[in-house]
Amino acid sequence: MRQISAAYAKAVKELLREKAALFWTIAWPIIWILIGSFSFTGSAPQQVVPYIKGSIAISMMVFALMIAGMSNLPASIAGDRANGLLSKLISMPIKPYKDFLGRISAVITLSLLAAALVIVIGIIVGARFTGAGVEIPQAIGFVFLVICASAGVGLITGTLIKNLQGAIMTGVGIAVITSAISGLFFPYEGLPGPLQTFARVYPISSAQASIVHLLAGPDMVAYNPLTFGQMTLTIVLSFALLLIGTVLYSRLGWKLE
Amino acid sequence: MFAIHIENLVKIYDNRRVLDGVNLDVPEGEFYALMGPNGSGKTTLASIIAAVKTQDSGIVEIYGKKPAQAKEFIGYVPQENFSSPKLSGRENLVYFANLLGYSGSKANQLVTEVLKNVGLSEEADKRVAKYSGGMRKKLEVATAIFPGIKVLILDEPTTGLDPAARRSFFGMVQDIMGRKTSIILITHIGSDAELASKVGLIDSGKMIAEGTPDELKRQHAVEDVITVETAVKTDSVLSVLKGYSINGKVAESEAGYKIYSGNGDRVLADMVRSLDQAGHKVMRIEMARPTLEDVFFRLTERHLQEATG
Repeated sequence: MRQISAAYAKAVKELLREKAALFWTIAWPIIWILIGSFSFTGSAPQQVVPYIKGSIAISMMVFALMIAGMSNLPASIAGDRANGLLSKLISMPIKPYKDFLGRISAVITLSLLAAALVIVIGIIVGARFTGAGVEIPQAIGFVFLVICASAGVGLITGTLIKNLQGAIMTGVGIAVITSAISGLFFPYEGLPGPLQTFARVYPISSAQASIVHLLAGPDMVAYNPLTFGQMTLTIVLSFALLLIGTVLYSRLGWKLE
Repeated sequence: MFAIHIENLVKIYDNRRVLDGVNLDVPEGEFYALMGPNGSGKTTLASIIAAVKTQDSGIVEIYGKKPAQAKEFIGYVPQENFSSPKLSGRENLVYFANLLGYSGSKANQLVTEVLKNVGLSEEADKRVAKYSGGMRKKLEVATAIFPGIKVLILDEPTTGLDPAARRSFFGMVQDIMGRKTSIILITHIGSDAELASKVGLIDSGKMIAEGTPDELKRQHAVEDVITVETAVKTDSVLSVLKGYSINGKVAESEAGYKIYSGNGDRVLADMVRSLDQAGHKVMRIEMARPTLEDVFFRLTERHLQEATG
């Protein structure tokens, strides 16, 4: 437990002191909430605008979670490998899974902090949500699925891409591109058919649609993401990504030969 | 029992023997320098001793145990700067103390003690990003001298340090030696290796010589070393110098040429005269006793820095 908390404390401090990480994880989504809330709601009926803003806030919260998992986590892994810390850790009497748990916990902490800040800013600029009861814990469940899937992609990237800049750019690239083609940045109904299929299969966009459905209302989502089949797919693929990432990291991430 | 015992160690990368039958014994408390050029296999050897890599064949033991089972004894300082620049020196050390199983007040007390030992008490709460190269390397050595660590492995610790920082660094290493810690220093710098009680020279994965610095010089480099710097480097200069060097060997370096002579005092004046007569202007000339780098040259016919570069 001591080793896990040591890895956690180090990773949290580093993330909170890294300006680029804070910008991409917290400031960038907030900037887009501000832009989106004031630019993209002009033609909508007044009574719907708060819920469109709520939907934008949720999308940006999901993007913040993606960046935390897909970019900050692999940056931390690749950086430690490049600067020799991994060699140092391998020479010490500690188990890889303890380092892994510490890192993942740090990313979850930053993710939740980013999510909370993004939602608060969304509310300040007028976002409103319909869900208030059981929908909130359900939505939190989907937030955790986004964190799992993003962290899984981050672990895969951090394990396979050996240099720091490559890991960061790949992570940001995956987050931005998959957001763009899965309906996170653009309305789902405007996507071509194959991308609509991708949006339903990609667990992050599917989880985002579920959160919007729960908190901003079904009118804000072009399909029902809460069917049994769709939810099962989202849950299974989120955990599968995390599992693949964990296996790769524990098998290859701690090997230097 | 030796602190480190290595027998017939072989490591192969891409069908190339990076370590080829290395034997090495380091008694408890000894300061052992392993010197060789880049690509000679010395860092691979250090990482095998540190349990970071594994050998293809041969025996490696730390106090009679395989490295992977003796990690609690090993303090490894890799060549790269591994301390976190975003944390303070103290925070970095608390992290490593916690990883080693110390917590709370015990960890804080140990960290304060270790910071004092490496002379960083006053800088302890500054971010490592603001440390000089020498301070950062001292901090990283501090991560490897917590109680219980018996074997300290330093991989090229003085690379990039200025002379003052190097002197200060080795002052700290000498303090560590007083605690029966065995130290392995990996280096390609002869003046660093001179400080060790025993030196092993490694080239192309093989140990080519071993002994105290004085023994190595006595056995392999009895000549005086004359360094000559001329206004221009030409074949003609080389040809004149070869006439004054034992076996006609002349080493070229950035500063000029190095020749080895059994009777430097007498040769010096004649050599300057010959160069002058051949129309070559001598910019600088000096004679010195041989160094460990000269020993390496005598054994391999390659200059250590050239081999390294």
